[in-house]
This record gives sequence, C-alpha cells and structure tokens, in this order.
Amino acid sequence: MSKVKRKNNAKNNLIRPIRDEKWQPVTIPLVAILISFIAAAIVILIIGKNPIQAFYNLLQGAGILPKPSYAGYKSMLTDFLSLLNAMTPLVFASLAVAVAFKAGLFNIGVSGQMLVSGFLATILVGYSGLDAIIAKPLVLVIGMTAGGLMGGLVGWLKYKFNINEVVSTIMLNYIAQYVISFFIQMYYIDPVSRQSQYISEAARLTLVNVEMANLKMDLPLGFILAIFTAVFLKFFMDKTVVGFEIKAVGSSRNAAKYAGMNVGRNTVLAMVISGGLAGLAGVTYYLGYFASIQPKVLSSIGFDSIAVSLLGNSHPIGVIFSSFLVSIIEQGSTYMSSQAGIRQEISSVIVGLILLFSACGAYLKHKVSSLKDKELDQKESES
Amino acid sequence: MSDYIVEMKHITKRFPGIVANDNVSIGIKKGEIFALLGENGAGKSTLMSMLGGMYEPDEGDIYIRGEKVQISSPNHAAKLNIGMVHQHFKLVSDYTITENIILGVEPVKKLAGIFPYVDIRSANRKIEELSKSFGLEVDPTKKISDLTVSMQQRVEILKVLYREADILIFDEPTAVLTPQEIDFLLGIIEGLRNGGKTIILITHKLEEIKKVADRCAVLNKGKLIDVLDVKETSTRKMAQLMVGREVNLKSDKNPAAFKEEVLKVEHLNVKNEDGFEVVKDVSFTIKSGEIFAIAGVADNGQVEIADAIAGLTKVSGGEILLNGKDITNESIRKRTEAGISYIPEDRQSFGLVLDFDLSTNLALKQYYREPFAKKGILNKEEFEQFGSSLIDKYDIRSGQGIKTQVRSMSGGNQQKTIIGREIELQSSLMIFVQPTRGVDIGAIENIHKMMIKERDQGRAILLVSLELDEIMNVADTIGVIYNGQLQKIASSESLTTNEVGEYMMGAKHE
Repeated sequence: MSKVKRKNNAKNNLIRPIRDEKWQPVTIPLVAILISFIAAAIVILIIGKNPIQAFYNLLQGAGILPKPSYAGYKSMLTDFLSLLNAMTPLVFASLAVAVAFKAGLFNIGVSGQMLVSGFLATILVGYSGLDAIIAKPLVLVIGMTAGGLMGGLVGWLKYKFNINEVVSTIMLNYIAQYVISFFIQMYYIDPVSRQSQYISEAARLTLVNVEMANLKMDLPLGFILAIFTAVFLKFFMDKTVVGFEIKAVGSSRNAAKYAGMNVGRNTVLAMVISGGLAGLAGVTYYLGYFASIQPKVLSSIGFDSIAVSLLGNSHPIGVIFSSFLVSIIEQGSTYMSSQAGIRQEISSVIVGLILLFSACGAYLKHKVSSLKDKELDQKESES
Repeated sequence: MSDYIVEMKHITKRFPGIVANDNVSIGIKKGEIFALLGENGAGKSTLMSMLGGMYEPDEGDIYIRGEKVQISSPNHAAKLNIGMVHQHFKLVSDYTITENIILGVEPVKKLAGIFPYVDIRSANRKIEELSKSFGLEVDPTKKISDLTVSMQQRVEILKVLYREADILIFDEPTAVLTPQEIDFLLGIIEGLRNGGKTIILITHKLEEIKKVADRCAVLNKGKLIDVLDVKETSTRKMAQLMVGREVNLKSDKNPAAFKEEVLKVEHLNVKNEDGFEVVKDVSFTIKSGEIFAIAGVADNGQVEIADAIAGLTKVSGGEILLNGKDITNESIRKRTEAGISYIPEDRQSFGLVLDFDLSTNLALKQYYREPFAKKGILNKEEFEQFGSSLIDKYDIRSGQGIKTQVRSMSGGNQQKTIIGREIELQSSLMIFVQPTRGVDIGAIENIHKMMIKERDQGRAILLVSLELDEIMNVADTIGVIYNGQLQKIASSESLTTNEVGEYMMGAKHE
C-alpha cells in the first residue's frame, strides 16, 4: 500500500494509548511528562552526563529509591517525609489556583496571600506562648482567614469595579512584600539569620526531628490536611450547589447570570476560597516547612503553583499528583547535583520543560482528534 | 457545452462525520440569476465556498468558462472573476468606504518617482463611477461606522465589483434587511444581471427566489434534488422539495382566546451601557392566551425590552408588573420563580453553558431546588432522569445523549434544548427573542407550533423577531418599535406586511 498510508498507520499506533477521550485528562499529562523527560535527557546528554543516572539520583534524593548510604538518624523514610513536608504548601497553593481557575479567575497573587497569612500567623501565634493544642489550630484558622480576606478583596474589586484580577493580585503581591518586609526588619528581625525570629515549636505545623526507631524525622501535619482538603474540594466542586454555580460562572458569566445565579457573590466567594487555600499554603510554608520569614522575598511556590495546577488539569486530585512530581524533582536535585555532578539548576530546567509541555496538552488533544477523523475518513473511502 | 459559465460536476465534500455535498452537479449560464435553495445544513454554503476558494472538493471537477480549474484560495477565485458577498460583513469600521474596498489591492503611485503612496483620489473616483453605474448610491468618502446595515452590504457588493468580478455569489443577503431594503437589494441584483453579470443567490427565502431568480437548484441534506425553472414552479412545490415533505407555510392556529392580564409594562425606559436611552416610554400589556410580537429593525430597543422584563438589564424608569405584582427591581431568579421563561437572542453566550453537558443545561434554571438538590447537595440521578425525559419529549438530538457537551451540538438542537427547558418551567409569561434565527425551515415550523400550543394552554407570549413573516404568521397582537418607541400597537389582522414595514422605518406616524 501507499507510503502515506503506512506513515498514517505508524502515527495511529503512536497515539493509540491516548486515543480514549475518557482517559485523556490523565493520559495527556503523562505523555507531556514523558516528552519532557526525553527532552531533559537530551539536555543532560549534551552537557556530557548520563541521564539515566541523573534521574535515578533524583529519585534517591527525594526518598523514593534508597541511597547507597545514609548519615546518622537518616534513612529513605526521613527523605520521603521531607519530600512530603516540602510538597504540602505546593498542594495548597495549586488548589488555590485551581479553584480560582474553575471560576474563570487567574489568581496570580498566591505568593502575596501566602506571605500575609504566614506573617500574621507568625506574629499572632508564632511569637506567643500558647500551647501546641491551641496554637496549631489557631495558626490554620488565622492563615485561612487572612488569605480568604485578601482573596475576597480581589474578587470584590473585580465584581464592583471590574478590575482585572491579574493586575490587582500582582499589585497586592508587591504591597504585601514590601509592607511585611518593613515590619520584619523593624520589629522581628533576627540579626544573625537576617530573617524574622524563629517561631515557637508549639506553633509550628511540622514536627521537627521527632525521634522514632532510631531516626530523626520531620512530620508534616499539614500534609494530611492537604489531602483531605483536595478530596473535599473535589466533592465540593462536583456535588454541591455552590460548586456548581462557581463552575457555571467560570464557564460563562452571561449564562450564569441568565440562569439567575448571583455572579458577583460567586466571584467573591471563589476568590475567598482560593485565598483561604493560599493562606493554608502560607502557614504550612512559613510556619511548617520553614519557621521564619525571609524579608523582601516572595515564595516561588505561588508562581510554580500556576503551572502545577495546569499540569493537574485544575482537578483537585490531579493537583496532588502533579505537586508530588514537581516536588520530587525539586527535592531530589541537591542529591543529583552532588552525585552526578549535574548542576542543581538542571532540575529547574526539567520542571520548566514539564510545564512547557503540559501547556501543550490542548494541542496534543487537538492533534489526536484530527488524526482520528482522518482515520475515519480513510475507513469510509475504503468501504 | 460552453453555454455554461460555471459548471460543477459530481462534487463531493466531506467533513468529519457528515457528507456536506454528495455528488452534486450544476451548471450556471452566463447572465442569469441562479438561486440555491435549501435548509440550513443542506450544503448550499459549502458548495459555494468551493467556488469561492475557501474549500477544495474531495471529488469532482469545477469548470469556469469551459476550463477545468482548481480554485485553491479566495485570491485565486478573484483572479477567475468570482466574488462572494458574505452574510457577515468583513469591513473595517474606522475606514472609509473607499479604503475598505481597495484594501489588499491598493492603487499605488510613486511620489517624485520614489516614495510609494496609495492613490485614494483616483480610487474614490473609480468607486463613485462603479456605484453610479449599478445604482448603489454610496458616498465613497464616508466611514463604515456611519453607515446602515444595508449600506454596508452595498459596500461589500462594490468590493467584489471593484475586483472585476463577473460571477457574484450572494450568501443569504437579505437576512439582516427590512422589507423595503430587501426590495431595493433585489433591484440591484437584477440590475447587475442586466449589466451582464452572473449571479448566484444562496437563500432559504422562497419569495425572493420567486421575485428575481431565473433558475433555482434545490439541495437537501447535501444532495441535489432538482434544478427548476422558477417561473414555472409554485412556491409550495419549492418548499416541499427543499424540506422533503409537505410544509405548512402558514401556521394553523385557532382564534385566540384572551383571558386575564399577565404582563403589564408601563412607561418603561432603559438606558444602555453608554447611558443612552434605548427604550423610551414603552407601555403595553399581554394577556393570557395572547402572542404579542414586537416587530422592528435590529437594534431599535426590542432586545432591551425583553432583557428588562427578564431582569438582565436595569430599568431606568417605569414599571413592570407580572400577574399584578411589581417585579421592576426583583432579581432574575425571583422573576423566574414568579413565572417568566426567557429564550434569549444569543443562545450560545446567554442561553447555555456550552462546556456543560446536555442534562445540566436542561436543568440550568432548577438545579438549586428540590428534587435536583437537597440541602445544597446535587442529585445527579435526578439531573439525568429529567434530561432523558426532555430529550424524548422535545426530540433533542445529540451524539452522546445527556452526556453530550452542548458546544458540540447543532444550532437547531441547542435551540430545542433552551425552548424545552423554558417550557418545562411552566411560566405564565414566555419571552421568545429571535427564536428561529439560524434554524432550518422544518424546525421553524416546529417552534411556531410550540409557541401556539403554549399560547393555547393559557400562557402569555412575548415574541421579539426581525423576521416580519414570522410575526405576521404567529402573532395575535403586533407592536412596532422604531428608535426605542412603540409606533403602533394593533391586532395582527388589522395590519398588512407593508404597513408594519413602514412603521419599522419610522415612516408612518399617527
């Protein structure tokens, strides 16, 4: 038969695994990840290193695979717990972006919302002498409230004055960054570390250096909450009237209004939820993963979360997996660089590539369906 | 052989899932008006798009002036002197008529032999001559934004004439015009033919064909049914061939039985976003069992009246009473619950959430209350059951049943979805805005029947339409709007189509 046909058949075999539309939300990100790892492997080859070894080291560093030797009190388990500790704020932050996105809003201000809630929780609870049993829940409540209010402000500005949320969140990021940096440097600075003073152990959401079975582990309490939150959000978006309205407003503001929904209220509400989640990201970051705040710096998590959420299809459960993957690459990079002699920055390149290719998901989807159509045409003309 | 200027032989064109043209062969003679008749989706536009260079046929050949050609692009079509006047105008509103016409083929002169510039003056002159010779009456230096719709259409015609087309394709040219404007346009088309041009007219309006066309090809579901001599064929016969069955051009309806007053609009004023008053002191009432139609040229405030009653637009003055209750400042949801169903003009951006599935869209106005939701938790089974029953009841066709994404459905089925949903609300007032726009003649008949059935069941119906035929056909009472004011309210029997047309133009004052 003709060459063209054979070529088409080859193409069809290639796309077979991602043909089923039902599974595309899962398969397409997987294909994107696969392509990006191939691209990353090429980059590593170009700088003269072995990509297989590099990826292996990456997994070892993140506590997924065992290292050949461990320092005292350390094991694969402790590495894995550190991974979860680092991943927790990213899950919350990505959920924040995902919820806003469902409502048709782009929350670029996760970093600012994280900083404000982290700072308020730090000065209100972190420096108080409260008991752990009161302090820890209080940190969560303050984080959620502060973030929610800040998000709500953005939603209200959008609804009332039609101020684009991208602009207002970016501006609020700057305001938060510099105002809080002023207060830290004036009142809360630790002259040695040049960061804010450390918070009390009682207020911290990660239990540090817990000794168990001859190991010293970090237990991220927020991680469990993050998983529960994701599951709850899935239920909330799929099964509740409020979630339905938020999605409808996100899909079509006009149709939502026409159907009798209160578009303004839903816009504000979605931003309150998004901000609240960003607040949780803030407290698990500044009062969990860290125990202090570096002035004049916005956490990169707020921006990574946009891409992580995209990779996870803005789906709460998908976000858990995409956060997991990105955290592995970032956590494992130190070990990779010491073992394989590859600079740590390469891990950022890999993350960048994944996100770049995941953004091509829509293109992949389009390509697959057009190939399917062609195949149908072919079958028709044969018969 | 060569008495045909255009010949299309055994043309087949497929799109994913459908065959748009199936082995169609037509021949068009030089200097005739050749009409293409068919329902929406019959394949008229596809066939002509292949002549205009937008698509290439999968099978079959095209001969222009006896020579076999492959028309690969609109530019190529222009080289073959084929020009298309599109249904949707493609004009730059800040440019003058001349600037729009010469766009892409600007006459360039060189200043001092070096610096190139566009020779607007000679272009103006040329367009003026062209305009005069075909009776188009336009001033080439005017800006597009200052022109009426019918003037803009003339610019589109001039555009193809300027490119020296002698085969002109008109794609549904009368859809946006008033009766008087239609007459004028048909006059122009005849003038073009008498000037030696060959005209292809795509339309689904039979009376236009009867008026000007020489011959007419009827398409149905992609297949050529027949080529008719217009003078010797009755309108009824053409309609029958087009739909493939007997159709009632005139809706059968029982005499209206008006009962109690349902809607009362008093001294209504509405301002648009720029603060201009677009509805001025409008008052009318609709009774149970009455179809009240607002006739008018597009953008004269009729859509704003409907939006104001449904609550989508704020009222700047006046009162709206539903069943005696003042609803002027109620929320949209309260109005829906008080008994208003609304079939909006823009069904895709207002009437439906395109990314949601069919069952969700069918429940879009009831999702929040029992049995669809209890204590804030949705009951998906209830959505599915309700959706399935409505699909059967209103014959909504879709690829994957209730799970189909509404975006992928055809326009006609999207409209059925909205109408079905709104009828199910059992409201005392139903507002239909342009309910039959863009749906085919079979569906139009069906929609009219549904409206009349709802009327007979005692609902009050407000119909806003730009199609005068539709209004004359179904309305019991007609209100004619011009420039935001109701010019005339009278029973439909007491008005002729021409009278309504005159009121629509603001020509007739009492």
